[in-house]
Amino acid sequence: MRARTRLRDWILSPLLAILTLTFVYPLVFMLFNSLKTRSDYFVNPFGLPKGPLQFSNYASMISQFKIFTLFRNSLIVAGGTVLILLAISVFASTIFAKYRFKGRAALFLAVLATMFIPSQVTIIPVYVLFSRLGMVNRYWSVIFSYVALFLPEAILLTTAGFRAIIDELLEAAEIDGCGYLARIRHVMIPMGRASLFLLIIFYFITAWNDLFTPMIFLQSMNKRTVMVALAALMGRYQGTPTLQFAGLLMSAIPALLIYAVFQRQIIRGLSLGAIK
Amino acid sequence: MIRGKRQRTAAREIGLSLLPVVVILVVFRVYPIVTAIIKSFTNWDGLSRNDWVGVKNYVDLVSSGTFWLVLRNTLVLLLNVPLQVFIGLVVALLLYEQVKGWRIYRAVIYTPQIISAVIIGFLFRTFFSLGGPVNAVLTAIGLEELAIEWFGNAGTALGVLVLSIVWFSIGWQAIVILGGMSAIPPSVFEAALLDGASYWQRAFLIVVPMLVRTIEFAVLASGVWTLTQLFPFLYSMTKGGPGFDTTTLDYLIYLRSFGFGFGSNYGYASAVAVILLVVVLAFTAIEMRVANRADDWN
Repeated sequence: MRARTRLRDWILSPLLAILTLTFVYPLVFMLFNSLKTRSDYFVNPFGLPKGPLQFSNYASMISQFKIFTLFRNSLIVAGGTVLILLAISVFASTIFAKYRFKGRAALFLAVLATMFIPSQVTIIPVYVLFSRLGMVNRYWSVIFSYVALFLPEAILLTTAGFRAIIDELLEAAEIDGCGYLARIRHVMIPMGRASLFLLIIFYFITAWNDLFTPMIFLQSMNKRTVMVALAALMGRYQGTPTLQFAGLLMSAIPALLIYAVFQRQIIRGLSLGAIK
Repeated sequence: MIRGKRQRTAAREIGLSLLPVVVILVVFRVYPIVTAIIKSFTNWDGLSRNDWVGVKNYVDLVSSGTFWLVLRNTLVLLLNVPLQVFIGLVVALLLYEQVKGWRIYRAVIYTPQIISAVIIGFLFRTFFSLGGPVNAVLTAIGLEELAIEWFGNAGTALGVLVLSIVWFSIGWQAIVILGGMSAIPPSVFEAALLDGASYWQRAFLIVVPMLVRTIEFAVLASGVWTLTQLFPFLYSMTKGGPGFDTTTLDYLIYLRSFGFGFGSNYGYASAVAVILLVVVLAFTAIEMRVANRADDWN
């Protein structure tokens, strides 16, 4: 018995522990160094902050960099994306999961096939389309781009969840006089809530973290999302890493908080292997 | 009569429920891809210039040295896929066998995926910068000659990129493979342990053959991801440089369309986009064929 687990217990397990530390350490590193002076950082980036803690980095992130305005912009984009995505996915997945009609499989496949179109391939025509419609520099441009990008995967996820709902429940609701909307409200949404919940969390975080689409569509200073502004900050203040660490850490916190709270649901949902 | 009415209602429910999906996908995915393909044969600048130039964009692209450099970079960066699947598999089996602390590992290992790739990229850039922490450690332990400008040449810059991508992706791989493993009957592992199977035998003679479909999904998803989603990593770490030494196809599209300001050559960038689409589809087709072959052997 011992020989068979020696490799695992004496080599691989410690390696996994070290690997796990490398996932935690950057957060600690950012926290410590964001509280240092610039020269303190360059003397020893690994030490604890010496002398008084430098909250000034956080103060200037809030007052000059206006990080809470950026958070609001990201919230509008991510929140709007999730709401529209959710509404469309619930209706479409109800049909794909519970209705039989000619061409259903073909349509489902066609929807999924659009997953393989990279967003870089479509961004130029979409940009030109938006600029003709006067939608560049409006939140809608990013929200609609995200909805179109995430929709196939979201439908795949919710359809899988809705398929598990037993047909008898729907039939019983119909006999009780529930119309289409009432069946969705009283049967599909409550019974399929696990997959809907995962959809909300997962695509909120994805939209919050994205750079490419908002960088192209939202260039005006007061509409930028936090990741776009962060990318600009990192280019501008090359010489002030301590300020940058404060910004990087603050921008990471909202998504990390969501993960900390819903860790179980996220891991369980991912294990089903429907989303990347 | 009632039946007919029921069918009409059902048809209306189906139509109205699927309409938004169809409209959004046609407007924002299908129309743009058709446009990109057509415009790749023009010198379109997004405004007025829009002349048919035939395959000139493609000829210019293939005959430029940049294109082959970009293809080389894409192939090198794809090396991260086997690395992340392999490490993910090792980690998944450790989690499955519930080594000490597995709950903490499982929770923490996914955190890089939660942090924006922008933030991860800038962290790696800072760590591997000339005066950064990595070089500080190397100097401190007497390896000064290794304390180099990591992003200064193609070899080490691509190396750091692969490292950051693997590090970022291990958690996702482990969780997905672990999810697939829950379908393997535990008795299989118990029998293997009784028969004296080593860790590697359990990993490669049990998990891999029984999870061909899960591993196929893992390879496919991370491969397509590598081909299309590296923008934030490249933008934050190397900006595609030095020169074009770390530029990939998707980054080249950005450089040729938006990277140098408006009025760039959208026709040329569209040709790059079409080639990226072909590469993605080819990768998908090859990968599926290999996985089918592997499945047949079982």
